[in-house]
Amino acid sequence: MNKYVHSETSQHVMKLIQLGADVQVVRSNMVYVSFTLENGVEVAYAYNINKKNHYFLERIQPYPLAVKEFDSPDDVVNIILLDHRQFQNASNSKKMRNFIDINKSLHRTAKAFEDLFLYYNICRADVMEMEKHIEDMNKLINRIKTESQRVFFEKEPENI
Amino acid sequence: MLHEHYIIGIIIFLLSYIAIISEKINRTAVAVFGAVLMVIFQIISKDDALSKIDFNTLGLLIGMMVIVNVVKRTGFFQYLAIKTAKMAKGNPIVIIVFFSIISAVASGLLDNVTTILLIVPVTLVISDTLKVNPIPFIIAEIVSANLGGAATLIGDPPNIMIASATDLSFLDFITNLLPLMTVIFIITVVLIELIFRKSLHVDDKYKKEILSFDENKAITDKKLLIQSLSILVLTIIGFTVAEFIDVSTATVAIFGSSLLIIISRVEPDEILADVEWVTIFFFGGLFVLVGALESIGFIETLAENLLSVTNGDIPTMTILVLWMSAILSSFLDNIPYVATMIPLVNHMSSVTAGNFEPVWWALSIGACLGGNGTIIGASANVVARGALERKGFHISFLYFMKIAFPLMILSILISTVYLLLFYI
Repeated sequence: MNKYVHSETSQHVMKLIQLGADVQVVRSNMVYVSFTLENGVEVAYAYNINKKNHYFLERIQPYPLAVKEFDSPDDVVNIILLDHRQFQNASNSKKMRNFIDINKSLHRTAKAFEDLFLYYNICRADVMEMEKHIEDMNKLINRIKTESQRVFFEKEPENI
Repeated sequence: MLHEHYIIGIIIFLLSYIAIISEKINRTAVAVFGAVLMVIFQIISKDDALSKIDFNTLGLLIGMMVIVNVVKRTGFFQYLAIKTAKMAKGNPIVIIVFFSIISAVASGLLDNVTTILLIVPVTLVISDTLKVNPIPFIIAEIVSANLGGAATLIGDPPNIMIASATDLSFLDFITNLLPLMTVIFIITVVLIELIFRKSLHVDDKYKKEILSFDENKAITDKKLLIQSLSILVLTIIGFTVAEFIDVSTATVAIFGSSLLIIISRVEPDEILADVEWVTIFFFGGLFVLVGALESIGFIETLAENLLSVTNGDIPTMTILVLWMSAILSSFLDNIPYVATMIPLVNHMSSVTAGNFEPVWWALSIGACLGGNGTIIGASANVVARGALERKGFHISFLYFMKIAFPLMILSILISTVYLLLFYI
């Protein structure tokens, strides 16, 4: 199997280099982590450990979260444990499923927006309309935040 | 007690051999397990078992694997492939000729499996760019790699084992086998071109894409390339002079590989991890299995029977060994076959007057070229098929055999004429 992985890596590297990319192949161990919460929701992550001290962590389930880079494997594990506790705490809520569905929906919307932008020449008025909707959404999130009771205190929220 | 040893030894050997041939269980695990059973049942003592392991073969294999592992990091193969594909102006017929030459030459200096692992990925990218079926390219490369490997001492494991068991040097292999393999290579590549020429049509716009490739981008580390190619050349020179300075080929390979690790400053753990230890242990187990059979006198009995069949006539034995090796190696792993044949031929030569060199060449030619007969005939063939299948292409056993088996028979016919003309 190892031989075929090398063969496929060589093909990818050759194609990418010919496209003008700077490619580095880093040997690493891929770690796949999954927890099942009490309500049956699966929380899963993937990260790699390598000698170059670049650790890429990605949440896969219950909805994907963009890759983050860390300098130490301990940081990766600490983030996973904290994230898991956040979800464990959130799983007490009866609205957990709605929360996951909304997040998945937002993710699909972001992808649809990307396709729209990359595949079509959209007019300025439409761009402004979208910006307006995003602004409204952010306002809604901030209003709900101020009117709701905080339930997790181990870490400060990073985005609101 | 002696009779029991004889029977148990043969049973362990046969069961191990069948298990290796069946490929149902990993061949290395079987060889090592069989070897341990030989020691447990006291067919061979632990010390004798260790003495049967041919450390010259293992040293040579490990040394060359290390050098190759460094060379392949430099992108040299991609450079060569892109350069030649551009020289061919994207014409697939000409590319097949160039890639076949690269495969044959590389296989003579490295080993067949490594050569295939280096040339196949590049071929898949080139054929994908040309929007053409990669199977004709891969078949030409498999056949060429096996032919190139047969031409030198270090090109194919059977040759390494034969050289280690005899006085045949690196130069002996070059002078005796290279001319023959060159003739077979030219005829084979011409025939492959004739077979596939009608199916290799490429649109001009895809040919232009190949011309837009930049071979210089493929070189990932120029300094490492110069260092590793210099050491490879130095090692090859070392092989040619080894017999005159009374140094073994394994010593030369280990010298070259360790020097390369020191001057290149590559991570030794990464390079050593890439050594195919599974193959090394397979050889180790096999040497003990065959050694045990030798120690109970079975090989001697087999050799005497073969001598009585051929009346001790060296020309008859040469042709018999050539054809038997070719046919068997088409369907079976040629490494255990050659490992068994070496003590057998050794014993026959010790009790027969006359020059046994033609029989050794027949064994080498038959075992190496036989691998071209079927898709399972050599490890290089199996690896190439696996890489193709991962890209969604399939070479069936019969399809490959329909093309390659007649080519293999033709190569053995040419070899028969060669041996009869120049050695008998």
